[in-house]
Amino acid sequence: MNTNIVDLISVTREVSWLSWGVQYFFLIGLSYGAFFMTLPAFVFGRKNMEKTGRLALLIAITCGIAAPVALVSDLHQPGRFYNFYLHFTPTSWMSWGSFFLPAYVVLLLIYAWLIYRPDLELQASNRSGMLARVSALLALGGSESPKAIKVLGYMTMFSAILVATYTGSEMAVVRARPLLNGPMMPLLYLLTGVCGAAGLGLLLNRIIADASESVSDNLNRVLVVFLGLTILTVLFWMLTGLASQSASGMVLMRLATEYNPFLFTLLWLALCTLLPFLLIINKQYKTWWLSGFLSVAGAWLFRWSMFIDGQRIPKTGAGFNDYSIPLGTEGLLGIAGTLGLWLLLVIMITSFIPWQGSKQDTSV
Amino acid sequence: MEESRRKFFKGIAVAAGTTALASTARVSAATKRPMGDASHRWGMVVDLRKCIGCQACTVACHMENDVPIGKFRTIVSNYEIKIGNKTRSVVLPRLCNHCEDPPCIPVCPVKATYQRDDGMVVVDNSRCVGCAYCVQACPYDARFINPETNTADKCTFCVHRVEAGLLPACVETCVGGARMFGDLKDPQSQVSKLIAKFPTEGLRPEMKTRPQVYYIGLDDRFNSKVEGTPSLWKREEALGEEVES
Ligand code: SF4
Ligand code: SF4
Repeated sequence: MNTNIVDLISVTREVSWLSWGVQYFFLIGLSYGAFFMTLPAFVFGRKNMEKTGRLALLIAITCGIAAPVALVSDLHQPGRFYNFYLHFTPTSWMSWGSFFLPAYVVLLLIYAWLIYRPDLELQASNRSGMLARVSALLALGGSESPKAIKVLGYMTMFSAILVATYTGSEMAVVRARPLLNGPMMPLLYLLTGVCGAAGLGLLLNRIIADASESVSDNLNRVLVVFLGLTILTVLFWMLTGLASQSASGMVLMRLATEYNPFLFTLLWLALCTLLPFLLIINKQYKTWWLSGFLSVAGAWLFRWSMFIDGQRIPKTGAGFNDYSIPLGTEGLLGIAGTLGLWLLLVIMITSFIPWQGSKQDTSV
Repeated sequence: MEESRRKFFKGIAVAAGTTALASTARVSAATKRPMGDASHRWGMVVDLRKCIGCQACTVACHMENDVPIGKFRTIVSNYEIKIGNKTRSVVLPRLCNHCEDPPCIPVCPVKATYQRDDGMVVVDNSRCVGCAYCVQACPYDARFINPETNTADKCTFCVHRVEAGLLPACVETCVGGARMFGDLKDPQSQVSKLIAKFPTEGLRPEMKTRPQVYYIGLDDRFNSKVEGTPSLWKREEALGEEVES
């Protein structure tokens, strides 16, 4: 800090990307992270991964449906969202995103439907009443369609890569915000998205599924690799930033040591990334709830840090602007609302759709 | 100051007259948006040697443009600096630079932010979805989301006044005569002459935005992000509860 210059009056702008934006980036990151975990079972033919794949699919679709709601709510004029489709702007990543995102969600839902179809058919014959009729309707004949699943899997994979690319690049191109500006954003969103999805899988495996050991093992393996990669990437970012004195590396160091060391360094890096990594690598599987929760929290905190704290760094003035999270729709209510919506989707899908497959048909 | 205003009015009267007669100001056929007159390129020169930091421009802008309280289209940054044993005050009026290469435009996902033929960067707030991408992309913190319109807002160079042959409100009211406005394409305009006569600088050249607000007498320590001791007061404390309501 230069004490020879004191700011008396300067521009302090409030954050204008709100907590809804954090929720969107969080949910969509979890969604595509989980979707990638469905691929071994349903596209690459690894039968022993089916249970993990089904759990991941549940996460991918519930987060994938909730995410666009959060995104539209982050607009200050949500009712005008149709303008995205009337005025396509190829120079804007956000404009591309308005096409990639619906494509991803629609493809994901078709992919999930193809996977659930035979089980819906079975449910239709095992159950009676309304549920049976709706299941029969949804099953549309209910035949197995491994080829179609594969094709849809590849198409969804392509769209998921586009979504991951646009969400990261949208921030990476903003030269005015050196923290976000650079190739680290897309990479870290992807890595932390997979971590969050695997962490959520660890929790749901015990809470709503049958606590399968093999599923836990698979998810722990994913977590170790992706938490490890996250740590390495951040260290690389810090070290190369220091060595080259790049704007993005320097501002990251300031975030970690000066602007908000409590949130970035202590909460995110140490508690929610390093600790679950150490727990899992030391085979502390009994603390699944802790590693799971911390990994999910880590995916969220990383986004909060880049989004909200990133906006607190003034562009022309000194210091780190104040921010306290508002209680209303621009803050806590936004976070609670999207989480509530996600929970509702989980309850609805697990109640009415045999998401665990015919062997775990809910009627049995 | 008086002289500069008179000169401007004379110039603008001719320009406005020409505009009215020959109708050179374009309205985009595709979007029906006013595009201005390509024979002008509006710009500003701020002579920092004359600015007294009175914030009359800040107030005039609020009155003219009905800017919500706590938000600013222009403001005069104020710094205290120490040189040896002496303390000095430094002032720096800030506003949208109506950049020649504005990073706020390409990011806008609906083309609501656009540049007119006369160089003014404006927001079509009947189209803006309030995504705030432009707010992030402007390196000068010149933009904000207006809480009353829920759309992006910023200095327009008082386009409505300029089209009526008047000066922007901040220029009109400038007590020290530090803010000057005019046509950069006209070599005889006051702004062009000043730029030809004195060394001038734009803010944040490292951002490669080619700003069209030119400063005379800008100290190198202030042309980019000013890394001083942050403001001693907090925004809400200083602005009071009005900001909250
Ligand atoms: S100063 Fe900011 S808002 Fe104004 S034209 Fe330049 S980039 Fe856009
Ligand atoms: S806030 Fe409005 S003007 Fe700014 S980028 Fe979004 S749509 Fe465009």
